[in-house]
Amino acid sequence: MSIILKGRPISKGYAEGEALLCHEPIGFNFGMDVETGTVIEHNHELMNKSIKDKILVFPNGKGSTGGSYVVYQLAKSKTAPAAIINVLTETIIAVGAIMGGIPVVDKLDQDPYAVIADGDFVKVDATKGIVEVFKRGENK
Amino acid sequence: MKLTDEEKRILDGERGEPMQKAMEMLATLGEIYGAEKTVPINSAHVAGLSLKSHGLAGADWAEDMAKAGARVCVPTTMNVIGVDRSRDLGLPKDWCHNQMRIEDAYECMGCFGTSSCVPYYTGVLPRFGESIAWSESSAVVFTNSVLGARDNREGGPSALAAGLIGRTPLYGFHLDENRRGDILFKVTAKLEDTADYGALGAYVGKIVGTKVPVFDGILNPCIEDLVYLGAALASSGSVAMFHAVGVTPEAPTVAAAFGGKKYDTVLITDKEIAAGKRQLTSAADPKVDYVAIGCPHFTLRQIRDVAMLLRGKKVHKDVTFWIHTNVAIKGLATQLGYRKIIEDAGAVLTQDLCTVLSIPEALGFKTLATSSPKMAFYAPGGNNLMTWYGSDKQCVDAAVRGYWDN
Repeated sequence: MSIILKGRPISKGYAEGEALLCHEPIGFNFGMDVETGTVIEHNHELMNKSIKDKILVFPNGKGSTGGSYVVYQLAKSKTAPAAIINVLTETIIAVGAIMGGIPVVDKLDQDPYAVIADGDFVKVDATKGIVEVFKRGENK
Repeated sequence: MKLTDEEKRILDGERGEPMQKAMEMLATLGEIYGAEKTVPINSAHVAGLSLKSHGLAGADWAEDMAKAGARVCVPTTMNVIGVDRSRDLGLPKDWCHNQMRIEDAYECMGCFGTSSCVPYYTGVLPRFGESIAWSESSAVVFTNSVLGARDNREGGPSALAAGLIGRTPLYGFHLDENRRGDILFKVTAKLEDTADYGALGAYVGKIVGTKVPVFDGILNPCIEDLVYLGAALASSGSVAMFHAVGVTPEAPTVAAAFGGKKYDTVLITDKEIAAGKRQLTSAADPKVDYVAIGCPHFTLRQIRDVAMLLRGKKVHKDVTFWIHTNVAIKGLATQLGYRKIIEDAGAVLTQDLCTVLSIPEALGFKTLATSSPKMAFYAPGGNNLMTWYGSDKQCVDAAVRGYWDN
């Protein structure tokens, strides 16, 4: 049985993939290796982890406002997350995701950290604002 | 969001494709964030112009916009880039070439090539209560907090879109109700220089995230202290605005800063400032081969102070020492003789660039010393440079001796 969450569409589109949870904000400018989609911010929770093709769950963006261009670069380099789920999306992430065509939703009707775990299979319909979660080991 | 007739025509493509794309971006942001309408702006500031942020994909995008006829209609300043247009610093040629493609594309769109993160010193100074569309995280905090202008944390492309249309959606920090404080930080710590203010910002930014911190107990800071506080708040966190009671214009009293909202109080003593400095320190090897200060770009006062510290001294033969500012302030520093003192000592006063947005790591440096909290935050990941953080004096001493004295 999957779990359905509803949220606010930020950047339209559909994607599915494996969830990667991050509990702290992410700064994309100077915080990301664009060629590989790996987080390079010193002491960051996701340091040295790849966000490529993941359904990336994080609270919000932070830091440099050049981050929009980096999100766009990740999309063009095919190293971007498949989709993004935020607690609250800020303008910097929204703009880069819209330019790069990365689906983004925020403000889900349940706490994403309580429902989604690392490795869960997640379908994101960011056009309708619907997130479907299949717990690890369940049929998709 | 309610569009004006002119905005509807732009959205229908009557004014060409770049304007249509820009309007689409503003309309989308307005819809997402619940703006009722757009408001006119008097200026925009576009950040993310380094090749590091744009990449070749972004350079192509900017050139396409310029070729398709995109032209800004309000004064639009440009942020720091990755090269110094006045000299060869030995950076890779192809990198400089692609960086200048981006610079040229934006200048072609009518932007001012001021290449600085402190455009309020060298280009456009927003007034109290004015809505603007600026990116550059440190400048957003400064204009909101210290000038009392109204600005959201715009991404580079949305700032450009606003510059093209001359308007921005009315949401977030353009509205009174979102400008009030959320958490009180009672400061008993002694703040002696910009490095202390930077440490305070780094410590608090990580705690508050997107919220508005209110500082009580910051006594008679100079403008540079507030610039460095804001820069640190906006790199370790997502802060768009702070209040300092009795200092910033929307916080004559604690009560005014919070506007009736309930709040928690956090105490800031010398211990928390020391913790902020530790947060910004990533180096272990005392041997320093690169010293860089001026992020955000140094003002005349800061350059004078560093020139006085450097007078009669020589930078160690194994150390490269860059002091970052923009072409305007460099011009003044040249006229007043500070640049000569700095260059006689073997340091370099750079223009246009900064460490974070350039690639000094291509020159083979291993360990950085800086007094800039924003640089100390980004350099370990962004430049692959382990970093010592301290005052301007500690940085000058490290440059002269070749090692950091902890």
